[in-house]
Amino acid sequence: MTDLRRSLALASILAGTVATAAAAQNWPSEPLHVFVGFPAGSSPDTIARIVAEPLAEAIGQPVVVENKPGAGGVIAIQQMLARGNDDYSIGININGPLTTAPRLIPDLGYDPAADIAPVGLIATSPLVLAVGADFPADDIQGFIDAAAEPEAISYGSVGEGSGAHLTAELFADAAGVQLFHIPFQSYAEVTTSILGGEIDSGFMAPSAALPHVEAGTMKMLGVTSAEPFAQVPDVPVMAGQAGLPEDFRAELWNAMIAPAGTDPAIVERLNTELNTILNDPEVRDQLLAIGWQAQPGTPEDLAQRITGDTAMWGGVIDRTQAAN
Amino acid sequence: MTTLEGLAHGLTVALQPSVLIYSLFGALLGTLVGVLPGIGAMAAITLLLPITYYISSEAALVMLAAVYYGAQYGGAVASILLRLPGTPQSAVTTLDGYPMAQQGRAGVALFTAMVSSFAGSMLGIVILVALAGVLGRLATSFGAAEYAAMMVMGLVAASTIGEGRPAKSLSMVVLGVLLGCVGTDVNSGVQRFTFGQVQLLDGINLVALAMGLFGLAEVIGNIRKAERDGPPPHVSLRQLVPSRDDLRRIVAPIGRGTALGGFFGALPGTGSTISSFLGYALERRVARQPERFGQGAIEGIAGPEAANNSAAITAFVPTLTLGIPGDPIMALMLGALVIHGIQPGPMMLEAHPDMFWGLVVSFGIGNLFLLALNLPLIGIWVSMLRIPFRWLYPAIIVFVCLGVYSVRGSTFDIVMVAGIGAIGYALAVAAFSPALLLLGFVLGPLIETNLRRALLVSRGDLMTFVERPVACGFVIATVLLLALPLLKGLRRNGG
Repeated sequence: MTDLRRSLALASILAGTVATAAAAQNWPSEPLHVFVGFPAGSSPDTIARIVAEPLAEAIGQPVVVENKPGAGGVIAIQQMLARGNDDYSIGININGPLTTAPRLIPDLGYDPAADIAPVGLIATSPLVLAVGADFPADDIQGFIDAAAEPEAISYGSVGEGSGAHLTAELFADAAGVQLFHIPFQSYAEVTTSILGGEIDSGFMAPSAALPHVEAGTMKMLGVTSAEPFAQVPDVPVMAGQAGLPEDFRAELWNAMIAPAGTDPAIVERLNTELNTILNDPEVRDQLLAIGWQAQPGTPEDLAQRITGDTAMWGGVIDRTQAAN
Repeated sequence: MTTLEGLAHGLTVALQPSVLIYSLFGALLGTLVGVLPGIGAMAAITLLLPITYYISSEAALVMLAAVYYGAQYGGAVASILLRLPGTPQSAVTTLDGYPMAQQGRAGVALFTAMVSSFAGSMLGIVILVALAGVLGRLATSFGAAEYAAMMVMGLVAASTIGEGRPAKSLSMVVLGVLLGCVGTDVNSGVQRFTFGQVQLLDGINLVALAMGLFGLAEVIGNIRKAERDGPPPHVSLRQLVPSRDDLRRIVAPIGRGTALGGFFGALPGTGSTISSFLGYALERRVARQPERFGQGAIEGIAGPEAANNSAAITAFVPTLTLGIPGDPIMALMLGALVIHGIQPGPMMLEAHPDMFWGLVVSFGIGNLFLLALNLPLIGIWVSMLRIPFRWLYPAIIVFVCLGVYSVRGSTFDIVMVAGIGAIGYALAVAAFSPALLLLGFVLGPLIETNLRRALLVSRGDLMTFVERPVACGFVIATVLLLALPLLKGLRRNGG
């Protein structure tokens, strides 16, 4: 299947250079469809809609957000690829389906490296280490000390293999501790469980923890980004603290992608428009309000993110699978 | 702000013309999507979400909320008239509603559903206002052990709602639990019964299952009938009015249903489907003549309809007081708030009193409107029975497909609903209860997830179900539920 698609893509590039150059000039002549892997109202959906409106204005054609939720974003990528590289089907998705999915889902049906053309990164979000207000420690060092005994400290994630789970394991490995994993299905459940005193901690989206920190029922001990995160500027970065490596960094991201074989001129045009949109202060504020930092960049930057994160999370998956 | 001041303030918010209009529009749309089989509040709210970016945050949430509770009214209509539940939570209303319609009491059944829905909602609002603080704490004090024990009790209590031999009933519950296992295991990430189908990673779609088992199975079952037996029933307004005996029978079920629904609604993750099933089971348990159930017992409509409406109101408690959504629809509504720059959370009541009190008052206004809207509509709904099958059923199939597709935009689910419909028909022919299958499907995964989570939290110690007082209470109640019929049987044999 993949081989066939790859050779078809190759054939279309070789045979149609002249034809596509003409097509790219007329592009877009019909609405652009954006396949989003999560339901309406979710943060990837909101990000897609924040981007879709100015994008539609810039290209002069409607941009239709197609919500195809399921399997952590994977279904939307499959559906985008099923449309073929028609130059009018693109995707906005999170890191999982492009990095860890091939490791976690055996019948994925696509290979991120071969079947996806990166367009550009949209936004990143770190996770914060959140604990209940009465947790005995107030900083990362204290947390690591409390976790000295293996599996003494439990944490909730949003599922086996989720960003929250892998980030916690990355942290535990770097800190030289063993945490006790309890999987949940949403940050809402993790929050309830921390507030109820059932579990000790969780690596959470800053926006999920923030309201409870403001209400005095939770504390944030550290953030996984390289720089302080604008939504929670007072939370210290973990990198370099308490014996953690200087380059410790774990971020979730949302990116714009296209099927491999999409006309490179169109990918470039989309990247240019995306970067213009992401440099608009109003858009940056909108993204920040829902917990995401705009990250304009080139398609190559995104490709590097994908390879880098695939290697990093692949290592974490190897270690956790070996531990089980 | 005291409660009275809050309500007065809420009135000024909810009566703003723009807010009022969106509230009424939401209630109307909710009724409509509730009536249509398969298309539910989720689809309607998803479609409305982009509109909410352009209106005030109060108007937006009031409208979305009205769709949510409005859909609880409409769901009963097709359940009663056609044995086609409009929404999964009204599936249980088919059990006694459809027999009543066949006895020529469709009007009374619909009247009962509407009045019970209204009473459940209004009393739910009273519970919400009076007990928001207490119920909010309930959400965080219920851990995995409590959920697991409570759901087991619910499953045991409700396993008797079907007709026929216990072995048949039990087999349906077990089949439902097994179907609920399909998908990715939360604890290990292992894929179960997915056969390499990525579309099955998140499990079987509840709407596809409910619509297949009830809706399509019913349509298939009627194919061999050329036309409906007997002349179409004519319903005058007088026939809508329940007898004094009917009224006497529905008062207590409404009260019990409201209390039950109010409790389950406030717990995140349980919701109105479970409330209506347990509401039905409760009525059957407390009835003097349980054998009347399934033959058109009016209590079997009043209890569950009050329960799911009450649950739809108190479901706002964890959402508004903690920022914790109890179900995907609530999560969608919170998403709408976030876009308006309102971060839902424990501080919301203090930070956005307009939103909280405006919403509460709008619930009252919306429900009054729904009652005024739905009572006169009963005559029109009943006249649906006069539509010939050859027009009605193709239309129903179209709506079922649309509704199933709308949940997650998946054509795979449409194929699923067709297959489930065929299985549902086979089950109906063999007189197996699809309601029990649905019950197992809803409760099974909740029990499994919470049981395993409770054991993870206690590091494998089963005593957690005994040491935690609330969990222990549920365990004792479950044992009693199982032991009582046994003791009765022994006494009967011995004496």
